[in-house]
Amino acid sequence: MPLPNLLRLIYRNIVVNTDPGSLVILIGLPGMYLVFFGFGFQSVTSSSGSGTSYLAFLAPGILAFQVVMAGTVAGSILWSDRRWGMLSQLLVGPFTRLQYLLGIMLTSMLFGLGGAVVMLGVAYALLGTGPAHLLAFGVIFASITVGSIFFGALMLLIAALVKSNTAYNSIQILLIFVVNFASTVFYPLSNGLPVVLRVLFEVNPLTYVADSVRGAYSGALTATDVYQMLFLAAETVVVLVLATRAYMRSNVAYE
Amino acid sequence: MLIRGEHILSVSTGSNRIVGDDGGVTGSAKGSDPVVSAVNLRHSYDGRKFALDGVSFTVRRGEVFGLLGRNGAGKSTLIKAMTTLIQPTSGTLRVLGMDPAHEGQRIRNRIGVVQQAESFDFTTVQGNLDVYGMLWGVPKAERRRRREQLLTRFDLGDVRKRRAFDISGGQKRRVQVAREFMHDMEVLFLDEPTVGLDVIMRRTLLDSIRDEVRRGLTVVFTTHNLEEADYLCDRVAVMDEGRFIVLDSVENLKRLYGGKKTIDLTVAGEGPSSFFSALTERLGPRASVSTHGGSAVILTEDPKDALSKIVELTQAMGVQLEWLTVRKNTLEDVFLRSVGRGGETRAVA
Repeated sequence: MPLPNLLRLIYRNIVVNTDPGSLVILIGLPGMYLVFFGFGFQSVTSSSGSGTSYLAFLAPGILAFQVVMAGTVAGSILWSDRRWGMLSQLLVGPFTRLQYLLGIMLTSMLFGLGGAVVMLGVAYALLGTGPAHLLAFGVIFASITVGSIFFGALMLLIAALVKSNTAYNSIQILLIFVVNFASTVFYPLSNGLPVVLRVLFEVNPLTYVADSVRGAYSGALTATDVYQMLFLAAETVVVLVLATRAYMRSNVAYE
Repeated sequence: MLIRGEHILSVSTGSNRIVGDDGGVTGSAKGSDPVVSAVNLRHSYDGRKFALDGVSFTVRRGEVFGLLGRNGAGKSTLIKAMTTLIQPTSGTLRVLGMDPAHEGQRIRNRIGVVQQAESFDFTTVQGNLDVYGMLWGVPKAERRRRREQLLTRFDLGDVRKRRAFDISGGQKRRVQVAREFMHDMEVLFLDEPTVGLDVIMRRTLLDSIRDEVRRGLTVVFTTHNLEEADYLCDRVAVMDEGRFIVLDSVENLKRLYGGKKTIDLTVAGEGPSSFFSALTERLGPRASVSTHGGSAVILTEDPKDALSKIVELTQAMGVQLEWLTVRKNTLEDVFLRSVGRGGETRAVA
């Protein structure tokens, strides 16, 4: 029995977009962050006499970072398909535009979850400990799922609006940098931060994902984390709708 | 004196055809039910200029329908409308009896499209065929069977493991066409499918399409190559500035635009003008003679009579013929006259 349209599209996205280069970037880059930043800053915190393990702080943050990488997958698929002519070819095939869009979104979500599983393994290997409860895994994967969809939709929105691949790539690089380093992935939100940076931290969706993943990972999930995730879910719906509308109206041809 | 054998043969037998030219897929049974019907179709990309400007036509089941026209004439826009990629600004369009605006997916489930632009997945040639078959829900075993058959038919075996983007332009085109045959369809839309193909592969492709047409496939295709339109099409439409300026069967068009045949001749030596003047007088009003230096192009309804008069006159005046050919009217003549070069434009009845 043939697979439903959506599953066929997801399968195709995975087969076509999973080359070694993509995998290195998707999994290798967060892994490198964890190793280099983790051990590098660990030595700083140790020498300063701080009792906190930076590696233990960073590991859940890197798990959350996977949602940004997953988002880049979504934008890249759309741009690749547009650039190599497959977008219009698929849209004269047996699929609707919405199915195509959902196919990309779900693919990026799978990449996010897959990357998170790998990072959990790496973190466990480095720390020798992991989430204590099964429920914690549930929260982590739920957070990664919502975060992946949010960033997937955001990247699709940008990909649908931007007219050239070069512009899209530039925006993506800038966005990854700002979103990553203005979040609680690498360091905690502190009162010592300048106000502008602090606001940026607080409105950054990646902060919500990082906080809830970290809370679940360490068994210290707070009500704030839950509210943040609910807020992120609402934001995700808004971005999803905007991305869908922009994509539906966009030109399928590469310019 | 040089004489092209095939053309002399066609004159001596009274036939309009050269060997190997059967003038289209005459053996296929054409149904009466319309597969595509359009009434006063208009489309504008910018709200000012119309890429389609009141196009009306019907494509019948089992037919090969050709769209000819210069670049920017509106052919690809029409293909996009029929394949549901764009919604026409106004007019009525039905594909397989359905409205593309509301039943796009149902239409797309039953059609195949080879687009003008390159389109590949970033994988190998055989990977492209496999993935495409999977996307269309073709079962794995059947996919493998079709893939092998198509790789052989389109001579792609040697490049099967190379990435589709790394092969030559002609090979890429073959992959695109072969890929479309990975799935079943009722109507195949081909937007300039033979661009970049060598003569042998072009013929292979056209013959493959004819085979499918004999099995009941309906084909709509655009081309700049008038010989292949002549070879493949039952009917052709010539487009210009978003309109159909000609729409008829290939044979009818050739008759309409040229009950006459063309004789090309070149004479040797000095002062051919006296010869051409005498020839014009001798041929009379049923032929028109246009000259350029030592060459002349003669349009006549009776090439046999004209040939004998030419031969008689050259002997009488002691003129030596260097070149003499009689050629049938081609679709190119139809095209050039219909778009306003070499004759006046004729509106579609």
